[in-house]
Amino acid sequence: MTALLSRSAVAILLATALTNQALATPTQGTLGSTSTGVITINASVPNRIQISGLSDVSLLNQDPTVNAVSTQTLCVWSNTSTHGYNVTATGSSTAGSGFNLASTAGTVPYAVNWTDAKATSAALTSGTNKIGFKSTATSPTCSSGPAAAEALKVTVLSTDLQTMQAATTYTGTLTLVVPPE
Amino acid sequence: MAFVATAARLIRGRGGRSPLRPFLCVLCASLSALCSAPASAQKANISGLSDLTFTSVNFSGVDASMNQDICVYSSTFPEKYQITASGSGTGGSFTLASGSDTLVYQVQWNSSPGQASGTPLSAGVPLAGQSSSASQKTCNSGPATSASLIVTIPFSAVDAATAGNYSGTLSLTVIPE
Repeated sequence: MTALLSRSAVAILLATALTNQALATPTQGTLGSTSTGVITINASVPNRIQISGLSDVSLLNQDPTVNAVSTQTLCVWSNTSTHGYNVTATGSSTAGSGFNLASTAGTVPYAVNWTDAKATSAALTSGTNKIGFKSTATSPTCSSGPAAAEALKVTVLSTDLQTMQAATTYTGTLTLVVPPE
Repeated sequence: MAFVATAARLIRGRGGRSPLRPFLCVLCASLSALCSAPASAQKANISGLSDLTFTSVNFSGVDASMNQDICVYSSTFPEKYQITASGSGTGGSFTLASGSDTLVYQVQWNSSPGQASGTPLSAGVPLAGQSSSASQKTCNSGPATSASLIVTIPFSAVDAATAGNYSGTLSLTVIPE
């Protein structure tokens, strides 16, 4: 009985081994009227994300009784399975908190709002990572597939415009970091 | 002359039917088989294949490409063969899979070894008229390799792909011509 069981076990092991062997690659062909060989091809695509299509913002000669608003459309491409990403916006001015433009006459705050391709919108806080955005882009710079669809909105409130010195240029940079999610 | 007459009788026999007819039929059948033997004995072999692992792929830049030299032997004269490639994608298409995600690749063939480009192959479509320099079925003697297989993953496919590990098989069938 033991011998029988052992033979069965060996047979199963052999069958398993042969099955595994049949799946192994590369498989070389054999000489015949047709000959077929098989190879396996492996490739790995790492997580990648890209933001592009950015433009400088110029809010010149603004009417101080009306909010100054600049909205631009840009491209964020993420190749994760969800096409998700985060946004961290950081202003260049360290004066006060949040986003500020600076001049020799002082600083003025501005607000930043982000809307993704799925119409999820959120106000951003300088230096704070905001999660939960999704892209529809299928090429890194939106050169093919869906067009750029993320919206960056910069606003200087009228109440802040009224604090600005006339004929003075206020400037600053805004850095946007988009990690994949 | 007498021999000819005897032979004629043997072949014709009485009433025009030869007693040797069964033997002649067997002889003719054997000769026919021998005559057709070279056609049915035409053989080919593909060997020296290696799996391909793309250690890196390119985004928005240059296509990623790998090539390998392999041995294709054909017993015909001249040594001609046709090659057909088939992937493990739907309908034999050249795609790698990562779960339900796919990554497209391209296949080229060159009947000379050491080549980085060749004739593009379409999945399941034979490429005829290829010449082999192999003098032995596995290139153990004579030229060590006789053809180049080139596999390319276009950057546009990588751009459109979801991050992940992709895998698939590529079958190559050679038929002597």
